[in-house]
Amino acid sequence: MRRFFARLRNLLNSGRAERDLSREIASHLDLLQEAYERRGLSPEEARLAARRAYGGVEQARELHRDARSFLWVEHRIRDMRYGARNLARTPGFTAVALLTLALGIGATTAIFSVVNAVLLRPLPYRDAGKLVTLLHGGTGPVASGNYLDWRDQNRSFDAMGAADAWGPNLTGIDHPEHLAALQVTQNLLPMLGIQPALGRLFRPGEDQPGNEHEVILSDRLWRRRFSADPAVLGRTILLDGAAYTIIGVMPREFRFPPFWATRAELWAPDVLADRAQNRGGNSMRVFARLKDGVTLAEARAEMAGITARLERQYPGTNRDVRVTPLKENVVGNIRSPLLILLASVAFVLLIACANVAHMLLARTSDREREIAVRTALGAAKSRVIGQFLTENLLLAGLGAVTGLALAAWGIKALVKLAPGELPRIQTVSIDLPVLVFLLIVTLLTTLLFGLAPAMRAAAAEVNGALKDGGRSGSEGVRRNRVRAFLVASEFALAFMLLIGAGLMIRSFIALKAVDPGFNPHGVLSMVVSVAGSAEAQPGRRVMFYRQLLDRVRALPGVEAAGGINHLPVAGDLWGWPFIIEGRPKPRPGESPGAVYRIVMPGYFQTMRLPLRRGREITDADDSRTPGVVLINERAAATYWPGEDPLGKRISFENDKEKRPIWLTIIGVVKDARQYDWAARPDPEVYLAALQHHDFLEDPAAHWSYLTLVLRTRGNPADLAAAVKRTVWSFDKNLPISEVLTMDAVVAGATAEARFEMLLLAVFAAVALLLAVVGIYGVMNYAVSRRTHEIGIRISLGASRAEVLRLVARQGMIQALAGLALGAIGALLLARLIAGILYGVRPTDPATFIVVMLVLVLAAVTAVCVPAHKASRVEPMIALRHE
Amino acid sequence: MPSEDESRVPLLQGTLDLMVLSTLKTMGPQHAYAIAARLEQISEDLLHLNQGTLYPALVRLEQQGRIKGSWGRTESNREAKFYAITKAGEKALAGETLRWRRMSGLVDKLLAQGA
Repeated sequence: MRRFFARLRNLLNSGRAERDLSREIASHLDLLQEAYERRGLSPEEARLAARRAYGGVEQARELHRDARSFLWVEHRIRDMRYGARNLARTPGFTAVALLTLALGIGATTAIFSVVNAVLLRPLPYRDAGKLVTLLHGGTGPVASGNYLDWRDQNRSFDAMGAADAWGPNLTGIDHPEHLAALQVTQNLLPMLGIQPALGRLFRPGEDQPGNEHEVILSDRLWRRRFSADPAVLGRTILLDGAAYTIIGVMPREFRFPPFWATRAELWAPDVLADRAQNRGGNSMRVFARLKDGVTLAEARAEMAGITARLERQYPGTNRDVRVTPLKENVVGNIRSPLLILLASVAFVLLIACANVAHMLLARTSDREREIAVRTALGAAKSRVIGQFLTENLLLAGLGAVTGLALAAWGIKALVKLAPGELPRIQTVSIDLPVLVFLLIVTLLTTLLFGLAPAMRAAAAEVNGALKDGGRSGSEGVRRNRVRAFLVASEFALAFMLLIGAGLMIRSFIALKAVDPGFNPHGVLSMVVSVAGSAEAQPGRRVMFYRQLLDRVRALPGVEAAGGINHLPVAGDLWGWPFIIEGRPKPRPGESPGAVYRIVMPGYFQTMRLPLRRGREITDADDSRTPGVVLINERAAATYWPGEDPLGKRISFENDKEKRPIWLTIIGVVKDARQYDWAARPDPEVYLAALQHHDFLEDPAAHWSYLTLVLRTRGNPADLAAAVKRTVWSFDKNLPISEVLTMDAVVAGATAEARFEMLLLAVFAAVALLLAVVGIYGVMNYAVSRRTHEIGIRISLGASRAEVLRLVARQGMIQALAGLALGAIGALLLARLIAGILYGVRPTDPATFIVVMLVLVLAAVTAVCVPAHKASRVEPMIALRHE
Repeated sequence: MPSEDESRVPLLQGTLDLMVLSTLKTMGPQHAYAIAARLEQISEDLLHLNQGTLYPALVRLEQQGRIKGSWGRTESNREAKFYAITKAGEKALAGETLRWRRMSGLVDKLLAQGA
């Protein structure tokens, strides 16, 4: 301990210690000299003898310094100063190396910060690792009766709750609004372990009929509509015309659920009493918390037993129920794209390291004399390596700081560029794990790019370097091998990145080229909700929808208008089973089913969704005429293969006497994309809105809205205001939401692919640039080192063409070896990227060929300049040069 | 480097501290040159010692609080830094001596067996 402070004092006050030492050495030498003089030597002889006996004064000083201070720290500080001087002496080198490192470190850090926020951070609930979802096939909703059975029969979970999506209209305060909301079982919010910022959560019994008129607000809704007023507790608001009391406000950072209905900002109790036996209406998402000590596997095994028993009891239900960690639902889809991006950016960093390593190698060779002099003067090998590593660390540290600034900027750009649906993207930030990552990356980087040059420096031959001036002759074979390895790896890495980018570009083009079935250009859509309004009353709604469409069609700039319950791609997706007339009753769970849409006349014309056969739904298809339905081509091919579906009849529901209500198929339309842009459309049916009892009469919120679609001349967004005014001319309390152009909807559907493609393309471009700079640098350097040798070759009769070939061949062999390695790597990695590709195989030959050509071309360009320079060497100048 | 005399012994790692302490204990406060001279004299010039290599040992011992240095004058009225052993140094010397005896005894024993 005492020594520690003594050393610390010396470290801080090294000047005094140094003076003290000089004084002591001088006195020692004097004493020695005196002793020699007493033995009879002349003063001059005695002085020399004293020196000899003492040994190296400088070495003694060095040893003394080592012993008296924190050797390591003092050395590092001194090395740092020396390194900084060295870096400042070669600003060009320093700037290029710094920029290269900053680019690599910054990009890697930015992508890691996204991975950290999206994938690594736990979800913001208490002990979130224990939260799971129970869903059909991992994503599909569950019927309330099944949920109640699971809840009551399981022993694996502390609690099991469920939620239904809800879209109530908020009215009664300034302007109406259609809200995204959830109806939740009483135990769901307490299960998450998050306390409300104000008020309380639901209490047991508050999801029973008659007690359910209470709501909890999100922080956002509270601020947006209630001016963040704490007195909002106890206040009554109107939702779909019914009174609800506000009992709580959640904290600002609270978001639930995190993977579906993510915009929910209001929570109300879900009353299950009257649907406890519902086993077919799959609408709920089920959440549960694992008991302490119960593993996921145990819970899965128990649920498999429960659902198998229930399936025997209620055939056709409880199939393929999966217990999935909640986090898996949130980030499962984005994990592999993000990891691919992280791997790609790591490749860029590796290439950057290779480039800097080469630059340092070249510099080391030029500094061999300096190293030799220092070694001769008594510097230990370890100190020479230490000096080089410190200089590298300084470089990497500066690179890291610059990189961090780049990363901060890059994160902002990433968040802006990222598709809105990317979960948790808003929470991306530079936090402690990111800084730790940055530190580790910086150290690894230093080792990667700095170790070879440092070893090289330490191995410098003292005598050789001093004697011949360290410049003449050819380079060592070993060093050339290191350079060749660097160039080859750069090309291999760049090749793999370019393949990745090429595949993503092709994939994106394929996604863009997907025919949605309809023509999205010039189409505007918006959801008009009538729930709780006068227009929702039986008999009023049909009139309202018809008149609204008529008035909208009359607006200047509108070519056509129609309506639908759920917009394709952007809107909700309902699947509905049906029976086909004249076919045997299907076994439970095996009914034909289709995506269920309800359309107002004019929809197909507005969307330009082509009719393949039969006729469209018109104004004449109303409640007085027999029921009609349109189907898509996939439905025709699936349920009526080799038959003519026109005139066939299907039924979705029975009337009061339990007789099927038959709908006649009057036409077949082209397949349109439904929800997942990359997925092939499923069978789909379009019912006539004007004949649809629930759509026109049912007061429930999920029946009480219409998505207006209009085809416009010019920019569709320009018409939004006029259409809104038209809606509000009927009733100024009608909420309008989801005002979207179909072009934006389509862009949203391909946003993730676009994001991944752009990033990969940027990384690949940087990689290509770095690889080209790398090979150019290596070749250029090799030529400048070999000027002497080339001069000899030329003077001995080698032609300039031969020299050109010689140099170019050396470079191209390295590049081509890299390409071969890269091709093997790309084939090995193909499997990993296959999951995020659409319409292109990961081994796509066209991509491989194009990338190969690009890289060969790049290599030729990079190699040509130095090769040409070599062929222009003047033998006499080259030989005299040394 | 000049070629080294075969008969000279190189300094055994860690023994220099012990020698310095013991010299200071028997001779009282001494400057670095006197310590070096004494060591060479005692070893009858068998010990190969660049006198400069004393300094790390001196500074180490001083930092450990086992010796204390102060500036003074030699008999020939020259300025020199005199080192004196401290209480802690004497304690350390006792411990080190014991350890050394054991060690050398062990080595002797082993070598005797081999001979």
